[in-house]
Amino acid sequence: MNALPAEIAIFARSTYLQYVALFQWATVRGYVGYKIVLPVTQILFFVELGVYAAGPQSALYFALGNAMQITANAGIFGVIATVANERQFGTLPMLLASPANRLVTFMSRAVVNVIDGAASVAVGLAVTVVLFRLDLHTANLPLLAVCVLTISLTTAGLGLLFGSIGLVMRDAIVIANVVYYLLLIFCGINFPVSRLPGGLQVISYCLPLTRGVDAARLAVAGGPIDRVGALLAGELAVGFAYALCGYALFRVLETYSRRGGLQEAY
Amino acid sequence: MSSLARAAFQAFWISMRLRFVSSFAILGWLLFPTIFAAVGLFVLVRPGVPPSQLAYAVLGGGLLGYWGVAYLDGGLSIQNERWSGTLEHIFAVPTPLWVILLGKVCGSVVWGMLSFLPTLALAYFGFHAVLPAIDAGPFAISFVVLTFSFLVVAFAFAPLFALWRWALPVLNGFELGFYTFCGFMFPIAILPGWAQPLSAVLAPAWATRAIYASTTASGPHDYAVWWLVSVGLSLAYLAGAVFLYRLVDDRARKSGELALA
Amino acid sequence: MSSRPAKAAIEVRALQKKYVTWRGRIRRTRHENIALAGIDLTIQPGELFGLLGPNGAGKTTATKILTTLLLPDAGEAWVLGLDVIKQTDAVRRRIGFVFGGERGLYWRLSGLDNLRYFADLYRIPPDVSRRRINELLDQLGLAGREHDKVEVYSRGMKQRLHLARGLLNDPEVLFLDEPTIGLDPVGARELRLLIRKLADAGKTIFLTTHYMFEADAICDRIAVIKKGAVVAEGTPVTIKRMVENQGVVEFEVVGISADRVSALRTLPDVRSVSVTERDLAQLVTIHCANPSDLMTRLGALLDGVAFERISSREPTLEDAYVQLISDAS
Repeated sequence: MNALPAEIAIFARSTYLQYVALFQWATVRGYVGYKIVLPVTQILFFVELGVYAAGPQSALYFALGNAMQITANAGIFGVIATVANERQFGTLPMLLASPANRLVTFMSRAVVNVIDGAASVAVGLAVTVVLFRLDLHTANLPLLAVCVLTISLTTAGLGLLFGSIGLVMRDAIVIANVVYYLLLIFCGINFPVSRLPGGLQVISYCLPLTRGVDAARLAVAGGPIDRVGALLAGELAVGFAYALCGYALFRVLETYSRRGGLQEAY
Repeated sequence: MSSLARAAFQAFWISMRLRFVSSFAILGWLLFPTIFAAVGLFVLVRPGVPPSQLAYAVLGGGLLGYWGVAYLDGGLSIQNERWSGTLEHIFAVPTPLWVILLGKVCGSVVWGMLSFLPTLALAYFGFHAVLPAIDAGPFAISFVVLTFSFLVVAFAFAPLFALWRWALPVLNGFELGFYTFCGFMFPIAILPGWAQPLSAVLAPAWATRAIYASTTASGPHDYAVWWLVSVGLSLAYLAGAVFLYRLVDDRARKSGELALA
Repeated sequence: MSSRPAKAAIEVRALQKKYVTWRGRIRRTRHENIALAGIDLTIQPGELFGLLGPNGAGKTTATKILTTLLLPDAGEAWVLGLDVIKQTDAVRRRIGFVFGGERGLYWRLSGLDNLRYFADLYRIPPDVSRRRINELLDQLGLAGREHDKVEVYSRGMKQRLHLARGLLNDPEVLFLDEPTIGLDPVGARELRLLIRKLADAGKTIFLTTHYMFEADAICDRIAVIKKGAVVAEGTPVTIKRMVENQGVVEFEVVGISADRVSALRTLPDVRSVSVTERDLAQLVTIHCANPSDLMTRLGALLDGVAFERISSREPTLEDAYVQLISDAS
């Protein structure tokens, strides 16, 4: 029983140290740049685009969509960048040669990013609400918070899948960027999924975030909790499937990369 | 003089070759502009869209990509020099740093122009969207003025990456802010009042305004004023850059941070 | 701006440098680390000069100041009579430097492209650089591999490519910062021979190293630096003479307590005692004035401790260095 508090302490300490060691925004200036300014400017840009196209009444639609997509930043970059940056700094072989539990090791990095992702979304949304005087009187804010957390977790599953590829490929951070920005097109962030050609809509519903964005919009519109819940359940199912596939792929590729010595290739 | 030109050309050429083998560089001119162009096209293109909005839909992605590459690429190449340990070496050569960076940012600007290829192709083949009109002369001059402004901004920002290790996250954070305040995908006129002075001091914003004006049939347009303001602001940035380059040389040598990744 | 008369190839007066670091993330505290505490050096043209010292002694800092990469906080330095602070451009044209290691090259370019690029940055005319690059590739054993990307080069090849780059502008003064570190013994010996040849050809070479035998083997003169201060300077012979009236007694033990080691240190005529771990045993090295006397007393001094392979020898440069470093502590 005494081992458990010690394990938790180790988990917490290693999570913090990994975050600080690996991420270049782990300084005050870097944090402000990546985690506050970037989300705020993204929301600002797309809200203005939306207002230009569809009028001021559409501001909330664009603000919410982009805020939810920014939530995914944490889940995706947190895990994918973990592997990529470990490789860049040359610490990946040491990590893989250690007896550390793989799932715990990699998800521990995602944990901090889930938390700080929620923080940057909160800041981004708050700034947008103030700047554009958005009306949130119908919003169920606790339910919105649940949507944010759900999306962070489900997109971490997506991150785990693509991050595994970083074991055998250089420039895995490129994959992180591709995945993150493609979500802008497929997940109903700035326009309804129905505007995509039929075949591409299938991709949308196979991705996390799509149902989560719908759930968040419904929560802000004061929609029924059971409908929001159904959407979030679907979202969690998709995210869990990605996490499971990601972990399996991770273990397979770890063995493959050890045969080929690919962790050191940079 | 010819040895300096040769050094600048080598810096341009080597940076281009390193871009060709860098997946990040390909992200910059191909993926990001295409994604943003796609979003812009999905949002803006619909039946009965006004011609001005159509112009933003067609050109917006390319302009975003062009800016995104030019703005950060020069600095990113400095960051890469830092990570590969070559930054100290290029500091210690007899060629002045500004000559090397000039070559690099020229490469950034050329690379950034590639963004128009996928974005215009997507607009035409994916959405059957074309520019509603084009006044070729003003368009060409405006594009040159815009290019000059991008070159100067990239040149002015690049030494910050040599000086401060946190330059990348901070400037990366402001990238989308520039998209907004320069009016790449929508007119600056729709921005709130507090944003207008910000746009007014950005050289690319004036050139962008001129570009979009040349793609709509309506007029008259104050091209000469917009061009002059853009060039004037660019020259002001250049004056600031002279001071910055001296500061970088002094501070980098005092702090000893060139070797630090 | 007047230049200092160029009698010495390198001259350093009271050079000081400290680094400021910040600790903590939110409440940050300032810390100063003194890298150079005021050093004086004079190196004549054509000399192969070695700067020895442990890690963190200030060797690389001194090298970076002399190669114009760092500004000192105080003091003066001249290379070929040119002020390294004010006449950087002129200095850069006439020196070369090699920091070595895995970094500092463009991995995704070939060795030849790396050299061509830096030849242009050094503003060498194309016809001259073409000829010189070919000569350097031959001289340094890289001919035939110049079109391969640097990422596939061995460590030794990368080191030689670093050296080729440092020699592109045919410098009068060459700075080498730990050039053989990480090389296998054969590669390191070949590089040392090459360095010696360059000095024999008239180049002034400023070499930093913490391999004593390397400095002993090739340097004309040596300075020993510790914690930013020069603690000794001279030829390898004169530095060894600092421990002339002393000898070294060495023996192996299995498990010697700290108390015993301290007791050995307190003996008269004992200058220093060091213990090195070797697999299951420890090698104890004692610098003392009278080794033969100490050897006869060791049995009594180490009563109850199993020791073997006891020997005495003349001090080497390494022993002198160890003693100098210990004294300076």
